[in-house]
Amino acid sequence: MTIASAPDQALVLAAIEQVWGSMLFATADPWPTERPAEFETGLQAQIELRGEWNGRLVLTCDAGVANQIANAMLGLGPEDELDEPDVHDAVGEVLNVVGGSVKGALPGTSALGLPGVSEVTEVPSRDESFVVSWGDAPVYVQIVPDAA
Amino acid sequence: MRALVVDDSRAMRRIVGRILGDAGFEVLEAADGQEALDLLAGPGDVPELACVDWNMPVMDGLTFITEVRRHPEWRAITLMMVTTESESDQIVRALAAGAHEYLIKPFTGEAMLEKLDLLGLLPTSTGV
Amino acid sequence: MTISPQAFTFVRELVRAESAIVLEPGKEYLVESRLVPLAREAGHPDVDAYVADLSTRRSQAALMKVVEALTTNETSWFRDSDPYTTLRKEVLPLLAKTRPNRELRVWAAACSSGQEPYSIVMTALDTPELAGWKTDVIATDLSEEMLERGRRGEYSQLEVNRGMPATTLVRHFERSGLNWRINQSIKDRVQFRQLNLTRPFPPMGKFDVVFLRNVLIYFDLPTKQDILRRVRQVMAPDGHLFLGAAEMTMGVDDAWERVPAGRSSVYRIREEQRTCVPW
Repeated sequence: MTIASAPDQALVLAAIEQVWGSMLFATADPWPTERPAEFETGLQAQIELRGEWNGRLVLTCDAGVANQIANAMLGLGPEDELDEPDVHDAVGEVLNVVGGSVKGALPGTSALGLPGVSEVTEVPSRDESFVVSWGDAPVYVQIVPDAA
Repeated sequence: MRALVVDDSRAMRRIVGRILGDAGFEVLEAADGQEALDLLAGPGDVPELACVDWNMPVMDGLTFITEVRRHPEWRAITLMMVTTESESDQIVRALAAGAHEYLIKPFTGEAMLEKLDLLGLLPTSTGV
Repeated sequence: MTISPQAFTFVRELVRAESAIVLEPGKEYLVESRLVPLAREAGHPDVDAYVADLSTRRSQAALMKVVEALTTNETSWFRDSDPYTTLRKEVLPLLAKTRPNRELRVWAAACSSGQEPYSIVMTALDTPELAGWKTDVIATDLSEEMLERGRRGEYSQLEVNRGMPATTLVRHFERSGLNWRINQSIKDRVQFRQLNLTRPFPPMGKFDVVFLRNVLIYFDLPTKQDILRRVRQVMAPDGHLFLGAAEMTMGVDDAWERVPAGRSSVYRIREEQRTCVPW
């Protein structure tokens, strides 16, 4: 693996695969470009990186998917109902671990912020993100550099 | 044996707590370094082990570890960083501040048990 | 969803019967994390339901899948830790007294993706009696794919978490993207070669230490006997053999004697057998 000076899609995808596999017991695959990836209301987690590269990673998924991710992380059944704070916390922590892996792969030592999670009603633009699978559902990932 | 899990993520506290619980520890939890220091200063036995996240609000894990090492009455606590911070420099900083071991997230339960074994903290281990 | 004591006991008995590997209490998390993917694949909501179904259906194929999930892929650094402590504190210092040329040769006979031979080199570097010595490790495996991984010497975050002290990681590895790469000076001490243990060994010279860990369990008795006999032929007379925790030479090849060391044991060729080994 070569050392990139900014996080690219391959690096973030590799970090997500590792986290899905080890913390969630699931596989993450790239979502086919031609396949629709719509949902109504979702959860968005963000985390900041500060160092040679400055920006944030953003993860957006359907509310039901967020619940499933939280359940998988806690070793519960996929349909178990969790409190909203628990779901937010789990999805935030998943992104935190992805962010830390990505940060460690960048040159120098960068700083990682604390994850923030909020509800969103809009699906991100596919032009500005890449999509990975959670089972049969899409998860949007954005690498957003600070505005110059 | 008692273990203190310090992490701002409830989900992570539950996961680490469960692994430690299965390994025979009585588990205490704190959501940041300051809460953990208050807990240590309170009544009750000093835990044998503390698993500490790095990035937390109020007081981060590195500061917590530095504080713990300043108190002679807490010398017996084995400190293990459990964090997503994964640069060599960060690991060296944590060890220099007094951490005994360092487990990088993501980790599997087996990896955590092997670290506890290295530290001589499993019922079956005698330490290295 | 913590695995129930009944399910854990069932799995433990199954694994012990099939592999001689004992899952101590405290390994519940291991059992569960290894079986969750199998339970999901079989359409069960959790591990308990999966195990309950296994215990009623008793399908041999399904049972073996469980055994496999719990016994393979054990690629930790300093695996079981005890053999490496014994190596550093007892075996290497002893050998250091009797090797005036200050050279040691070690064979890692089922090296998989390289964690074992590299752990041996790092242990030798931590042995004060070997300061300034040349320790070379020949690492062999049946799988070319595994050997290639070993030669590359690059390991994922998850892999370096397994059994490696943090001080060792920062001392001997550097980051390479998401992975960690072992230092060249360690890599240079290990030579990876393909080898099938069940066939006659190629010329390899004599070894002072042989690691033949967790591989004999996969062979039947005559094959075990044959392998242990041929290992004797490539050992220095005062060499030391390390086996897996669930393995022993007793009743297999009695030309070896067991020497208790730490919590485990090492094996040496019996004194009376050392002179009559057919070279």
